[in-house]
Amino acid sequence: MFLLLPFDSLVVNLLGISITVLFTLLLVFIIVPAIFGVSFGIRKVYMKTLLKIFQWATLRIERGAKEKNHPLYKPYVNGIIAKDPTSLEEEIKEIRRSGSGKALDTPEFELSDIFYFCRKGIETIMDDEVTKRFSAEELESWNLLSRTNYNFQYISLRLTVLWGLGVLIRYCFLLPLRIALAFTGISLLVTGTTVVGYLPNGRCKEFLSKHVHLMCYRICVRALTAIITYHDRENRPRNGGICVANHTSPIDVIILASDGYYAMVGQIHGGLMGVIQRAMVKACPHVWFERSEVKDRHLVAKRLTEHVQDKSKLPILIFPEGTCINNTSVMMFKKGSFEIGATVYPVAIKYDPQFGDAFWNSSKYGMVTYLLRMMTSWAIVCSVWYLPPMTRQPEEDAVQFANRVKSAIARQGGLVDLLWDGGLKREKVKDAFKEEQQKLYSKMIVGNHEDRSRS
Amino acid sequence: LPRAQGAHPPSPLSFPPTVTSEQIEHLHRRFKQLSRDQLTIRKENFDSIPDLEFNPIRGKIVHAFFDKRNLRQESDGLADEINFEDFLTIMSYFRPIEMNMDEEQLDRFRKEKLKFLFHMYDSDHDGKITLQEYRNVVEELLSGNPHLEKESARSIADGAMMEAASICVGQMGPDQVYEGITFEDFLKMWQGIDIETKMHVRFLNMETIAHCY
Repeated sequence: MFLLLPFDSLVVNLLGISITVLFTLLLVFIIVPAIFGVSFGIRKVYMKTLLKIFQWATLRIERGAKEKNHPLYKPYVNGIIAKDPTSLEEEIKEIRRSGSGKALDTPEFELSDIFYFCRKGIETIMDDEVTKRFSAEELESWNLLSRTNYNFQYISLRLTVLWGLGVLIRYCFLLPLRIALAFTGISLLVTGTTVVGYLPNGRCKEFLSKHVHLMCYRICVRALTAIITYHDRENRPRNGGICVANHTSPIDVIILASDGYYAMVGQIHGGLMGVIQRAMVKACPHVWFERSEVKDRHLVAKRLTEHVQDKSKLPILIFPEGTCINNTSVMMFKKGSFEIGATVYPVAIKYDPQFGDAFWNSSKYGMVTYLLRMMTSWAIVCSVWYLPPMTRQPEEDAVQFANRVKSAIARQGGLVDLLWDGGLKREKVKDAFKEEQQKLYSKMIVGNHEDRSRS
Repeated sequence: LPRAQGAHPPSPLSFPPTVTSEQIEHLHRRFKQLSRDQLTIRKENFDSIPDLEFNPIRGKIVHAFFDKRNLRQESDGLADEINFEDFLTIMSYFRPIEMNMDEEQLDRFRKEKLKFLFHMYDSDHDGKITLQEYRNVVEELLSGNPHLEKESARSIADGAMMEAASICVGQMGPDQVYEGITFEDFLKMWQGIDIETKMHVRFLNMETIAHCY
């Protein structure tokens, strides 16, 4: 027992020293720059080192597969089957011509007509545009996260060791660091905004509120090791406007709000989120709705309009897709925010999935699991483009305007512009869409029939 | 071992290779997506495909997946759920032609595909397409048009059925009743139509990392 004593105190001392060092590092390299909005560039160096390691790891896997003479599984992003671009009419004409030799203008039904729809149906079952967008994008090179690897069996000993080291670093060093930062950021936000809330309204309050918000969001950005590149910052949203962006995860808010001072819109939640929301609204006029009010579209529109009409008020931040998409495409924008009549500032956000997939599949993961996954990834790397402001032209309606904004965002971010509704993740297709194809076919068969019987 | 192919689309004379292990992997992942990571799929799982709603004969297509005749099972009727093997069995009806098929294989191939279509028409599994079943199919195909009266759809179906009867049985006496299209008659009607080259779904050529032999 006496022999253990000096050893014991040695361990305790070591522990004490390492914790102190950790906290000093935290303070000096992370929190202080966050407060002043400067950066040492540590994250960029980190990113470059990681990229080199990933390339090496991918090469090793390829080499391992070559040695065993197996093909590697490479996920194919654009779809797995070839869909012919021929139209309904062309195909049915072709089939009929090859069969009975009758032209299409004899209005009859042929047994072979069923074939076209059957094949189209099977094609969609094998591979459709929409369902693909709702699962995480597949990577081409391996980023040392086992959650993204499909070629597990080709990893050599060296790679396994590297992966093990990666796990150790991510879970034992990065994770506690990030949790400490997140904790600091959130508590500073809550206390800071509450304190600022007690000040009388005026320029001082606004100034302090802005900087408290910015500082805390910057700390949160560092808590996720988010490496963000902002483009075209001269187009940043101004007061009295609406900022719309594509939605991939709840982190989008932190990313945008750390570079600008926005009024947020959303539903009041319970728990920790609710505490944060209630504190934030004391310092700055965010627009929070009760759960019951969210369903009432007119009420929502009214409050937003009131906010926007006051030109001194902050720009509102809205995500019109209504749900998280997996960042390979942009889905239908809900027209509500485009009816208000304010200037719209579109923003495109594109994540680089190599370092950590930011997509929140809310049907697969809860919020806590999701945050844990984020904090144990290497980093979140993304690009933000501020697009020039757009206003609704006199001859277009809200839906057309929404689509115009959506195309601009999709084009800038290199995302696929889809007509489909993000709400399809949970709901079924509206009936209006269903009828189009059927109408076309029946017109082919019957339309002429009616002419004939009339003549 | 699959050959690594170039990225240009297959010309009419170059036939794609047999189903590779990659394609099976892809189908497996698709299966898992549809089944939400369960081992079997039920009819409800097909509701999650929005594009399928476009299709007027959606019901019949989904039905075909659970039809025991298509699943090559001895018994008759409908299965409640299918596993991945069954899913592949149905997908195999849409396999493209293989280069090395001889006449007999081609004929069998064609008959299989036509049998699949026949089962779609013959909903009561009695081996014949009756007038009522025919009418059902036509009505479903034309169901999207709200302006179309039921009578028009019905008369179109009847006209087509009579045409079918004349092809299969020739001239009928006034007392003869045409019971329905049997499979042999069905085959007659598809003569000349190259089902085997049209009824397939082509996989896009996937690049495998080149490996040396």
